[in-house]
Amino acid sequence: MPASSETITLGGDLHARPAGALAVTAAGFAAAVSVTAGTKTADAKSVLGVMGLGATSGQQVTVAADGPDAAEAVAALIAILADATHVGG
Amino acid sequence: MSQVRPRVGIVLVSHSARLAEGAADLAGQVSGGTVRVLAAGGTDDGELGTSAEKIGAAVASAETGAGVLVLPDLGSAVLTVRAMLEDLPDARMVLADAPFVEGAVAATVTAAAGADLKAVAQAAEEAWRARKL
Repeated sequence: MPASSETITLGGDLHARPAGALAVTAAGFAAAVSVTAGTKTADAKSVLGVMGLGATSGQQVTVAADGPDAAEAVAALIAILADATHVGG
Repeated sequence: MSQVRPRVGIVLVSHSARLAEGAADLAGQVSGGTVRVLAAGGTDDGELGTSAEKIGAAVASAETGAGVLVLPDLGSAVLTVRAMLEDLPDARMVLADAPFVEGAVAATVTAAAGADLKAVAQAAEEAWRARKL
């Protein structure tokens, strides 16, 4: 199974609506997808798990996926994080 | 994902109309607005309590072909839901045992992703384990 991961620095706090968008999007992929912020890791398909990360502006967040569409899943979720939290530089 | 496929509908039953409406609004926004989330709160005359009639109407509105998940705020709402079920024996609905706000959000997001009724109910009930801190 291909695995993929990418890390970005949040340009804003990870609030409820982007957490919902992450979970809805992640659920569309066959791959298992996780989101890690600091010492906490959540299943990206669990909106409550993603919200419970408490990820804040400036924090590094890693999206990791394992499965047939892992690379696509990581790209899609990183795009949501970048857009929703206005990642700078 | 972009196919027009029926989504599981969600009915939030609260003793308070405003609580049900607020939770429905929140769950709808967090999930991106693609799921029917209906509020059934308060009695028929606007007091605190539950109404089998309101719940029945909400279940009918929430059904788009994939079934309906009903989420009560407190245990006593369950009695009204059960009474309503007797009037709608053919309804494809599941009554979830879950925390109200978290369960509503988790269920609606899962429904938005196209999951079936069983998975949506499971998402609501898994909300018992979600930590905020």
